Amino acid sequence: MSPVLSVRNLSKVYGGKKPFLAVGGISFDLKPGEILGLLGPNGSGKTTTIQMLLGTLSYTSGSIHYFGKEFPLHRSEILQSVSFASTYTSLPYILTIEENLEVFGRFYSMTKEEIQYKTNPLLERFCIQDKKKERISALSAGQVTRLMLVKAFFTDPKVVLLDEPTASLDPDIAMDVCRFLLEQRDRTGLSILFTSHKMEEVMELCDRTIFLKRGKIIADDVPEKLARSVSTFRLRLNIADGLKRTTIIAEQRGLAFQIEHRSIQLSLDESEIPSFLNALMQAGVTYTSIQIKEPSLEDYFLKIAERS
Amino acid sequence: MNFRRIKGVFFRYYFVLKKGPQQLSDLFYWPLIDILLWGLTSVWIQTQSNASNFPLLLMTGLIFWQITWRGSVDVSISLLNEFWHRNLLNLFSTPLKLSEWAAGVILLCLCKLVITVLFGTLAVYILYSLNIFQIGWAFLPFAASLLIFGWTLGFLSSSAIIYWGHQIEALAWMIGFLFAPFSAVFYPVSILPAWAQAIAWCLPTTYIFEGMRHILSNGTFPMQDFLISIALNILYLFLSIALFRTMFEKSRSKGLARLE
Repeated sequence: MSPVLSVRNLSKVYGGKKPFLAVGGISFDLKPGEILGLLGPNGSGKTTTIQMLLGTLSYTSGSIHYFGKEFPLHRSEILQSVSFASTYTSLPYILTIEENLEVFGRFYSMTKEEIQYKTNPLLERFCIQDKKKERISALSAGQVTRLMLVKAFFTDPKVVLLDEPTASLDPDIAMDVCRFLLEQRDRTGLSILFTSHKMEEVMELCDRTIFLKRGKIIADDVPEKLARSVSTFRLRLNIADGLKRTTIIAEQRGLAFQIEHRSIQLSLDESEIPSFLNALMQAGVTYTSIQIKEPSLEDYFLKIAERS
Repeated sequence: MNFRRIKGVFFRYYFVLKKGPQQLSDLFYWPLIDILLWGLTSVWIQTQSNASNFPLLLMTGLIFWQITWRGSVDVSISLLNEFWHRNLLNLFSTPLKLSEWAAGVILLCLCKLVITVLFGTLAVYILYSLNIFQIGWAFLPFAASLLIFGWTLGFLSSSAIIYWGHQIEALAWMIGFLFAPFSAVFYPVSILPAWAQAIAWCLPTTYIFEGMRHILSNGTFPMQDFLISIALNILYLFLSIALFRTMFEKSRSKGLARLE
């Protein structure tokens, strides 16, 4: 299947007295029906990349192709099938929800009737149908974020670019948004490029994840594989008797550990856990509780963020 | 150009306009205040100097200048509206083209202008028994020419605003006043110093205001003045739109998001 979005050697250098490389030659594809996470620490180039993909920021070199067509040459035609939502933009606060959606619908060549037909179920889905006649200024931050999602989805896009769409939402609503994104993908086969700082959300949603650091792609894989690539399991024990013996065993095996009161946390491979616990048993160590934490994407994120 | 998208831009600003007194003040309140202040002043001057058509000259100049002023402000304020509402990214991440945005703004500007001019004319007639349309059919081409120059000024200030952003937003209101003294709105060009006259004759508005006074004094239409003003207008409008497009692209290379 040919990709809906193809990015090749995309670079952005901000000029001025001290030229600054914001994005340095990144290449990736977004396949039909794929949810792709674009992650990285602050300043890694995520938002710059999204802006270039939307055409609100011009790029210095490289190419962007949507549906096989070169983006700058077919901008208006392409954006008919591409939409965007971000927690960090707003809508004219003096206009009502209904008016804002009417304006945006017309930008996608929709009639007033089509706009109402498409927006009503989405407003219902996000529980803001009763606010339709209210101005944006009367809505909470969470309601505005949900409205931005309605705006992004009512035009029947084939590609949706989402910049931290759940950043201002309560956990239950954020979870509902994730469910909605999966539903939409499964129902319509659209593709989503998604940035977020919530790693659990990324693990749940994304088929593939790209990590950016200082404008370069440093990893491109499925979230689970990335998580396991840098992180070991974490074993936490509340020791009742034998804390000293536990630390000696850990040192003998070359394991990294941290102690806090009667609790010890160790980093080790999954395969080492049984033999380590066995060694503790043979040394007569007793513990009152045990916690085993699998490696997560957050571990990966923290690891790459700390590397200079 | 897609008419539905142009209509979308029209509705974007129309919805703002119908929201209340603050938005409607541009259409009715400020023109009325101008008419009252300048009208009463001119009536008083007339009683002192016995210049019979002075109030009509002043009032016609005032209404005509409103046309240029409105044209200029409407274009640049529409752009500033997107900054103030943090809507610039939303707007230009849709299929909307810059030319469609400009066309939508111009369409709304035309509608607002018709309302303002009709209101102003009616107010002058009721308050001072003066008929601005006394200059006859010439009103329409003159008004069109003034409006085009207003758009030129609007695109000129918008060119700077789209690049430098909020820090120079006052330019939207200032630019009209910068050109008013040279346009000989209320007085003949001949009273300007020589260097200012050289500037004045480069402006299409000067030919219109001189022409207007010519009609009111002699009753004949100054075709040559009108044609020069139209030629200058077309040239300047073309240049200002080209500049706006260039500055928009320059701004895009720095990122439109920085303007919100």
